[in-house]
Amino acid sequence: MVIEKLKQFMSNRRCTLLGVGPMSKNCVDAAIELSNDYEIPLMLIASRRQIEAQDFGGGYVNGWSTESFAEYVKKNDRKGKIILTRDHGGPWQNNFEKEQKLSLCNAMESAKKSFRVDIESGFDIIHIDPSVDIYGDLSIDETLVRIFELYEFCWSVAEEKKRRIFFEIGTEEQSGTNYNQFDSEYVISETNKFCKKNNLPVPAFVVIQTGTKVKETKNVGTFDNPVRIKNELPAEIQIPKILDICNRNNIFLKQHNTDYLSDETLSWHPKLGIHSANVAPEFGVAETLAFIEILKKYRLDGLVEKFVNLSYGSKKWQKWMLLESKAGKMEKAVIAGHYVFSEPGFGEIKECAKKELQNHSIDLDGYLKTKVKESIMRYLRNFRLVGRQ
Amino acid sequence: MKNTATIILNRNLPDVADKLYESMCKNNADKTDIYVVEAGSDKSKLSKYCTWWANWDEAMKHGLRVARGVNYALSQLLSEGKFSNYNYFFMLTNDAEFEDKPVVDTLVEVMREHPHVGILSPCSKQWAEAKLIGEDNTKYFWYVHNVAYMMRREYIESIMEKDNPDYMNFLYDGTNFRGYGLESELVAKGYINDWATAITKKVWVSENEEYLQKLAGLIKTETYEENLNLYLDEGRKWMRRKYGYNSRWEMQMYTKYFYEKFFEFYPELKEHRI
Repeated sequence: MVIEKLKQFMSNRRCTLLGVGPMSKNCVDAAIELSNDYEIPLMLIASRRQIEAQDFGGGYVNGWSTESFAEYVKKNDRKGKIILTRDHGGPWQNNFEKEQKLSLCNAMESAKKSFRVDIESGFDIIHIDPSVDIYGDLSIDETLVRIFELYEFCWSVAEEKKRRIFFEIGTEEQSGTNYNQFDSEYVISETNKFCKKNNLPVPAFVVIQTGTKVKETKNVGTFDNPVRIKNELPAEIQIPKILDICNRNNIFLKQHNTDYLSDETLSWHPKLGIHSANVAPEFGVAETLAFIEILKKYRLDGLVEKFVNLSYGSKKWQKWMLLESKAGKMEKAVIAGHYVFSEPGFGEIKECAKKELQNHSIDLDGYLKTKVKESIMRYLRNFRLVGRQ
Repeated sequence: MKNTATIILNRNLPDVADKLYESMCKNNADKTDIYVVEAGSDKSKLSKYCTWWANWDEAMKHGLRVARGVNYALSQLLSEGKFSNYNYFFMLTNDAEFEDKPVVDTLVEVMREHPHVGILSPCSKQWAEAKLIGEDNTKYFWYVHNVAYMMRREYIESIMEKDNPDYMNFLYDGTNFRGYGLESELVAKGYINDWATAITKKVWVSENEEYLQKLAGLIKTETYEENLNLYLDEGRKWMRRKYGYNSRWEMQMYTKYFYEKFFEFYPELKEHRI
């Protein structure tokens, strides 16, 4: 009864719910500990690239498969506060389906296989996002057909496994431009009609572009920008309009790409009535920065250099860069850091670092986890999930 | 009898102001009187159509910006006994650009069709608000970017300073020099006093930002970036000082609250709500 619990929680406390990207083991541990310590629900929002079914070879985070990730979280989440959430599930949302250039039919089957494992492993919220198509652009109606097929499939698996799951829909790519509100309303209304006709539960969450966009380590969308951006709706109009749509349709807004918004803007999320928001790379970057900082503090410059070379060399920073980027090698390495945490090369660097830091009585993972917690706490306070003092 | 006063604000860009004046004249001369405010321009850079020259020391040093410029023009009209001759005031910054056709009459027509509108802004093709307005042409908003405002006299009279209004306080709060947040304040005051703010697609306006971006030195103002930072910083301080607001969102929600209330009192106008 996850949604009932969330609604109950929100009725007792005007707040914005937080979805935390499982960027690393330390990040997952930080989220579990904070949710248990403060007794607040937190969603762990796993993309298919981060956490994927064993049959696909797992994801890039800590070598976890969907199965082992879910098992780990459930084992450590003593008070049952974590809500396992699949983020952007759907065809071509993992590397394998893209690299193999699967046909639509095969990509849909592959996505279903992944969803099945999600549901069997205990994921509570399933985000169905078939907006990616490697063969061309999709119309809204084509997207809806795919949403409905996957929706029905997931529900049938849940019925079969006697599991209660909740759905998140939304076809947003992180454009940072104001997503067409009429399209969003159409998607919600058509999905509701489909659910009613097929006796399925209506979606609990919808992703609508509010004007957030992550580039490098900044949020460059309209939401945090007090100055008018050409061809965009000012956030002053956009946000209340979106919330009107959500409230009218009795569906929670799930804002994606919330990373790096200012405290001022974050603190307005609960006041504006934004129901929930996802944050991911910022927590990975927080851990990377902390790792580099502690190495530098203890003059482990050789390890810093090795790490920067490894991270920079991964090129995982490429998709995050601004067109006219001024970022150098170090900044790029910071952006890509969490992508290499599970690589053997990083394991070696970290082992050396651990040994060196032990000489100074420093528990490296404890330190990194604390830093990630601080980063998550910025959201918990601003979203009024915990006291602001 | 012309029922509209068009006010053009200019500083040190006589060619730009003259071009706007002439285009307004060409397409609207029978519908509007046009006044040009020289906001602390150098003597050698006055528009040939200059009506009033704000040339006291502070104005010469810093200019007037929109708030003080509009206040000054309205004060001058009042002191010259012309204010009540007009039903509408069309306030333009010199970087406003229109299509080559009559605009004043069209805006006045919209004002007549919407007797509860106090502020009417033409739409810009660079504003996504155009999509929200859709086929209806005119919708009521709680947030409108200030490039070209047509204001109804009764609206101005309902919120203006009554005791010796001047360039600091006639309509806008001139203590907020660069004006961040002032549009919202005017919009809120409007809804509080039963006057809506609308955007219409019947007239299109565009803002030529190149003047500010490239000619800051000529205008004798700060660079675009410096000006932007000061605009935001001063505006935030003003909001906090005047309202106790620590965020632009508080100002927005304040305005939106009265926007919603307006439709409770005028349910028949809900079709114009966005």
